[in-house]
Amino acid sequence: MKIFSESHKTVFVVDHCPYMAESCRQHVEFDMLVKNRTQGIIPLAPISKSLWTCSVESSMEYCRIMYDIFPFKKLVNFIVSDSGAHVLNSWTQEDQNLQELMAALAAVGPPNPRADPECCSILHGLVAAVETLCKITEYQHEARTLLMENAERVGNRGRIICITNAKSDSHVRMLEDCVQETIHEHNKLAANSDHLMQIQKCELVLIHTYPVGEDSLVSDRPKKELSPVLTSEVHSVRAGRHLATKLNILVQQHFDLASTTITNIPMKEEQHANTSANYDVELLHHKDAHVDFLKSGDNHLSGSSREGSFKETITLKWCTPRTNNIGRSVLLEQPRKSGSKVISHMLSSHGGEIFLHVLSSSRSILEDPPSISEGCGGRVTDYRITDFGEFMRENRLTPFLDPRYKIDGSLEIPLERAKDQLEKHTRYWPMIISQTTIFNMQAVVPLASVIVKESLTEEDVLNCQKTIYNLVDMERKNDPLPISTVGTRGKGPKRDEQYRIMWNELETLVRAHINNSEKHQRVLECLMACRSKPPEEEERKKRGRKREDKEDKSEKAVKDYEQEKSWQDSERLKGILERGKEELAEAEIIKDSPDSPEPPNKKPLVEMDETPPVEKSKGPVSLLSLWSNRINTANSRKHQEFAGRLNSVNNRAELYQHLKEENGMETTENGKASRQ
Amino acid sequence: MDDYDKTCLESALVGVCNIVQQEWGGAIPCQVVLVTDGCLGIGRGSLRHSLATHNQRSESNRFPLPFPFPSKLYIMCMANLEELQSTDSLDCLERLIDLNNGEGQIFTIDGPLCLKNVQSMFGKLIDLAYTPFHAVLKCGHLTADVQVFPRPEPFVIDEEIDPIPKVINTDLEIVGFIDIADISSPPVLSRHLVLPIALNKEGDEVGTGITDDNEDENSANQIAGKIPNFCVLLHGSLKVEGMVAIVQLGPEWHGMLYSQADSKKKSNLMMSLFEPGPEPLPWLGKMVQLGPISDAKENPYGEDDNKSPFPLQPKNKRSYAQNVTVWIKPSGLQTDVQKILRNARKLPEKTQTFYKELNRLRKAALAFGFLDLLKGVADMLERECTLLPDTAHPDAAFQLTHAAQQLKLASTGTSEYAGYDHNITPLQTDFSGSSAERI
Repeated sequence: MKIFSESHKTVFVVDHCPYMAESCRQHVEFDMLVKNRTQGIIPLAPISKSLWTCSVESSMEYCRIMYDIFPFKKLVNFIVSDSGAHVLNSWTQEDQNLQELMAALAAVGPPNPRADPECCSILHGLVAAVETLCKITEYQHEARTLLMENAERVGNRGRIICITNAKSDSHVRMLEDCVQETIHEHNKLAANSDHLMQIQKCELVLIHTYPVGEDSLVSDRPKKELSPVLTSEVHSVRAGRHLATKLNILVQQHFDLASTTITNIPMKEEQHANTSANYDVELLHHKDAHVDFLKSGDNHLSGSSREGSFKETITLKWCTPRTNNIGRSVLLEQPRKSGSKVISHMLSSHGGEIFLHVLSSSRSILEDPPSISEGCGGRVTDYRITDFGEFMRENRLTPFLDPRYKIDGSLEIPLERAKDQLEKHTRYWPMIISQTTIFNMQAVVPLASVIVKESLTEEDVLNCQKTIYNLVDMERKNDPLPISTVGTRGKGPKRDEQYRIMWNELETLVRAHINNSEKHQRVLECLMACRSKPPEEEERKKRGRKREDKEDKSEKAVKDYEQEKSWQDSERLKGILERGKEELAEAEIIKDSPDSPEPPNKKPLVEMDETPPVEKSKGPVSLLSLWSNRINTANSRKHQEFAGRLNSVNNRAELYQHLKEENGMETTENGKASRQ
Repeated sequence: MDDYDKTCLESALVGVCNIVQQEWGGAIPCQVVLVTDGCLGIGRGSLRHSLATHNQRSESNRFPLPFPFPSKLYIMCMANLEELQSTDSLDCLERLIDLNNGEGQIFTIDGPLCLKNVQSMFGKLIDLAYTPFHAVLKCGHLTADVQVFPRPEPFVIDEEIDPIPKVINTDLEIVGFIDIADISSPPVLSRHLVLPIALNKEGDEVGTGITDDNEDENSANQIAGKIPNFCVLLHGSLKVEGMVAIVQLGPEWHGMLYSQADSKKKSNLMMSLFEPGPEPLPWLGKMVQLGPISDAKENPYGEDDNKSPFPLQPKNKRSYAQNVTVWIKPSGLQTDVQKILRNARKLPEKTQTFYKELNRLRKAALAFGFLDLLKGVADMLERECTLLPDTAHPDAAFQLTHAAQQLKLASTGTSEYAGYDHNITPLQTDFSGSSAERI
């Protein structure tokens, strides 16, 4: 396919000289009297169109078909020729519609039969046509700019359709010579110009039209190469409907069109309810839609001879859609000699445009493919299908027709925004239910749904904070969590361990978004303040852990802590700045809101349970890591005494010694925080 | 001679041609592998004879090449290059590839004819023509290794300004989602299965998760089957929600991912490729102009999910979506005149429709330079006026006379009365006030 083939530019040159005002001598009855009123009334005499009317009407029909099928990139320039050339429109896309052309033609009006024929000539129009073919179209310009050094690949070809009344074959030859000479001259001009292009190929289609009943003075001639740049063909056509038929055939040839006749279309119900009335409609479309017929040599399905001219059309039968049809679509059935039914095409309408689809009626190469459930991940049964459905609905696309600009003034590309959003929304997105706790908790929804946003409102932050307080409250009340027990033996982790897993996951989610905005950071600060202690505190806390902790458990805790510490150290390095703020924020948020719960860090951690903590990492915990942690913990027992126990008095260690140190700061920060 | 004991490559190719077309039609790409010893046959029916008579074919005994379907012709010669070059065999075989528009390749054996060398030749064919297409399906941070089957074919957008065939990216990036009802049944270049695959660290495929007879593979596949895979999640949700994922295949090239059910039990993730270009589906508009709904002032799908921003209306309506006047067939003209007459007889009730139809006819007649029609219709309206029954509303006569007069003026073609944008308006009469209220 070539965008810049001859069909990119079509110039119509229509003769507007006095003889075109002559009648085509084909009558049109326009006064069709209604049956019961005919008595005693003589119908008005039929009228006939002029050669001009026939020419204009037929060329408008050519344009109508072309514009309907190719709304873009196929352009028409309309020129009317009498004592001079009248160029009715330009190549710009805004000028490419019937309304514009009709208005311009009305302004020109019919030819004046009393004008001096000596002054008038079709030559003016032909010269103007060559001139206009050298003018660059916006599409050519755009392609040249885009291709830069390869700009010469953009072709400049075109077609001139000239409708005139010629005097003789030699007159026709004179017209051809004139076009050839003009091309030669204008190509020289164009060579030295930036906004003109040389014509590489021009197809001249000369249509000689004459009144019905007269003898033609011009003979038909098939396409002939007059020079490497110019080909010419001559059609001698009677005016009236013959001319219209000729242009209909030409538009099909020029734009690779084919015809399909749809039969058995039922009349609209309201008008013909319960009748079997139906009708036929002929459609023109790109001939690719007939590719299967053409290749299989089955193209003589229906060649009908209508109105004297041979017209090839393929007949397809309308299959009235059932109730559960696919939107605004209708299937079309191909009648076969054998009587078997084959649905070969589909008509559908989108936004008032009709499309003809070719359906594959042959064997599929994807026969009996393996089901997705048999492949990778196919045995997993707890995908978050509903949640991902919600995700998809949130990430639906919509058109943004008006240009939008970024803060820096550059054009914003909506599709890039869509990709950005997907990136944000998937930073932490566990695929299966047993991999997540927080996304199984209704209580987390208010936070999870807004934290992925690019920016947060104050209200969003408040909602996130409320969510966190709510979770703290739940923890205090010892509410159960929807922790998966898949892959764990027994009852799964104990309650406080469940909360630890939940808080870790929530932190992973929030942390993935802290760089979005300062408000996102505030959510993290709140989270860090409310959830289990930051590392240093935890260390001290662990040292002072209750005496009644069994020995092996406290040993494990140390081990735990060491595991945790190495992870947290690296985390700390990453977020060292945030942490600074965090410690301040911790106090401020907690006391800030009247409904905020007691700081959870005042609540002593009662015990560490059997199940070792999950390996701290962003992302879900694998079965392997759970298992190896367990083994490691078992092996590490009987090593070091827990620090808290070593320092204990009467088997009791003081917990939260650090709180005393922090109390002073708390009050000062409180004032500042209340501004929030 | 009907005994198939003679080398007759043309008959073989004709046979292939027929089988492929019967089975798969003319649009499915097909690779044809011709295995030959390099001997071309003798006399009539030999390849030499076929090629020599190539220019003397009629439509009925057309040479089967080029194949009437997208194709590659691979010729596997059970002979080495030297043997083939000693005669004109290689030239003749090369000619076949040329006749297939250069689509295809000839393979010969390196070294002596033995099983190992033949295997190596076919190994080369497999590498060239049967390498699976591996890609990474991405949706933000969610990813999956996939095989796309069949291999997407390279596509030439414009042979002149952009002659380099485009191939799709190996990163298939989801850009967003659209309801099936909105995307409707879009035209596509090709359809492909998207199969999740398990890759080892070296990037070699270790399994598709599909159970096989081989025991080792079986266990590897079983493991792969139990590891959560994004394709399965995506497929499940697309199916449940009735949506498609729009996927970027390259610069200005998009496609869609959707669930396709083979039967009640079997269903699959499929990918269809749209035609490359900025606007493959006119009712979606330009692809780059599609953005996230969160950027819109209000949700274009409505709070209750009861509306849709699609389909987009084209800037200029197609002629069949508006009231375009075409008088090429006399029936078109007659219908338009009848419409005016019908309304004329129901004046003053139908004043508005009467003038609307009258003005439509007037505009078209002026554009086509068909002034005689204006005169004719004016005469007709005057006659209607004389035929009005006694019971007719007095306004009817006034309006008919006025309309006829205006048409006559327009038919003079003088700019004052024949302006295209000028409309004939109803005559203001003593009655028209009350009639206007009725309308």
